[in-house]
Amino acid sequence: MADDIRALSTQLAQDPQSLVFLRLADALRRKGQLDAALRVALNGLERHPHLADAHDLYARVLTDKHDYARAFDEWDMALRIAPNHTGALKGLAFLYFKVGDLAQAEAHLDLARRVEPDDPTITQAIEMVRGGASPPSPEPAPASEPAATAASPTAAVSAPALDESRVFAGLEGAQEGLLLLDAAGRVLGGALRHATGGADVTDAVAAYLAGVSQEAARTTKLLGLGAWTGLSAEGRAGNVHLAQPSPEALLLVVRERGVPLGRLAILAQRATAMARRWLERQG
Amino acid sequence: MTTRAVESWTLQPLTEFVREASARLVLLMTPAGQVLAQSGFSRAVDVMSAAALGAAIVASTNELAKQLRQPPFAALNHQGRRHGIFLSTFALERGTVVVLAVYDLDVSSLGLVQLFYEQLAADLTAASPKGGAPKQVLAADFERELSDSLNTLFGR
Amino acid sequence: MTGGFGHVLDLITRVRGVRGAMLVAGDDGVVVAEQLMEGIKGAAVAALAASLAGRLHRAMEAAGVGASVFWHLQADRGTLLVVPAVASGILVVAVAEPDVNIGLVRLELLRAAETAG
Repeated sequence: MADDIRALSTQLAQDPQSLVFLRLADALRRKGQLDAALRVALNGLERHPHLADAHDLYARVLTDKHDYARAFDEWDMALRIAPNHTGALKGLAFLYFKVGDLAQAEAHLDLARRVEPDDPTITQAIEMVRGGASPPSPEPAPASEPAATAASPTAAVSAPALDESRVFAGLEGAQEGLLLLDAAGRVLGGALRHATGGADVTDAVAAYLAGVSQEAARTTKLLGLGAWTGLSAEGRAGNVHLAQPSPEALLLVVRERGVPLGRLAILAQRATAMARRWLERQG
Repeated sequence: MTTRAVESWTLQPLTEFVREASARLVLLMTPAGQVLAQSGFSRAVDVMSAAALGAAIVASTNELAKQLRQPPFAALNHQGRRHGIFLSTFALERGTVVVLAVYDLDVSSLGLVQLFYEQLAADLTAASPKGGAPKQVLAADFERELSDSLNTLFGR
Repeated sequence: MTGGFGHVLDLITRVRGVRGAMLVAGDDGVVVAEQLMEGIKGAAVAALAASLAGRLHRAMEAAGVGASVFWHLQADRGTLLVVPAVASGILVVAVAEPDVNIGLVRLELLRAAETAG
């Protein structure tokens, strides 16, 4: 292994643009040299930002370092570049499993199986998800090498759970366009930036939202429409969706104008499910 | 915000109206200006002034309606830059009740005040004591009654 | 009561699932014109829709997404859809069944807002 790393390092030094960084970073990762693996992966990603394998590799190193939120973003990016990237699909399945979203975990594994129906690791992972056990941490699949099948020793099943204080860890826009509040308008998770200015408007918006939800509840009650389930709005510079993950909590999703209300509602559903689970864990 | 009532049966309906309509100041009174309940006022002199003026407006507009050979106006609304004033009357078995409500345009609206005024009138009608005309107030008792009312309205 | 806006409201109420349409003075929350099925309380719809529109507007401005172009409130047994006609301060409001074609109602509300505005 050490010889491999030396050889790969030499190759990379001779040709920094080559894709050998993928194998080198993976070798370092397997050896447990995560910081070194991270540096190599990041350097490679800077040179090859549109390479799905590079994002996949970076996500794996992040997973080994338990930075699941960023790992999620990287796998999400990999899928945007290459929607059938099985490594990314397996990676996301792993993360969804870790947060307890078995349906999403299985859905991603099913997609992966459609792309690679002969990959036994995917079938095995699906069985594990259905049986409630954790699937093995996904292995890298660099273009020049066959996929490994052994579970990574550095991403063992006993790895600590996602940071529960970060409600939306792993969901796109977690740090900027998702906000979870209690009924009094106090922030429970997420954050919000001004859609055009970029300033942090979390507290200001939170203060208004409690009033909005109370008025929404009153409106539907007095008009005989039953309990309110959602409020969607198109603004001139962005779109918003307000939901109630629980009777004592509010969820706001904000996206740019280009994201249609329908898609926003789907994103809000995912965020609502995550918020609900987080709230249940808080007790 | 404090809500106080001389006539206790007015308290619950008034409290709900203030909350739902987000009214800033409310007076329930007779057409003669005798206050039954108030919400949001902090000084007795303000209550007395508002009651007197409100009663005078109701009396003038009723006279105007009579001159026009029309039934009395159902409600009046004056809208300023920051506040609106809503004035209306409805009949109970024991007599007419005048409602004067002042609302902040930033947090409420004529529509909301009208909407919840309907509910207030219904609630007061349901809550008001049945049977018997209210007792006549003699001039000699008036000052004492007024004084007692103001004390009650301000929790003294 | 349609007060000359009947044709505007017709286009909205003919969408299947719409139980009523109205024009509301946004600042006052009072009805300007309405076409409502039995059981829909016009004054209540007007007052509450205007109040919610005001609160939502403030929240959206604070978030930086600007004034609302269209919003809808979904509930178990119905939905409220609103388009503000900015120039006139009028709100075009529809009350509908929960499974109404929102896209279609939205289009008609936007057309109505152009006319009413």
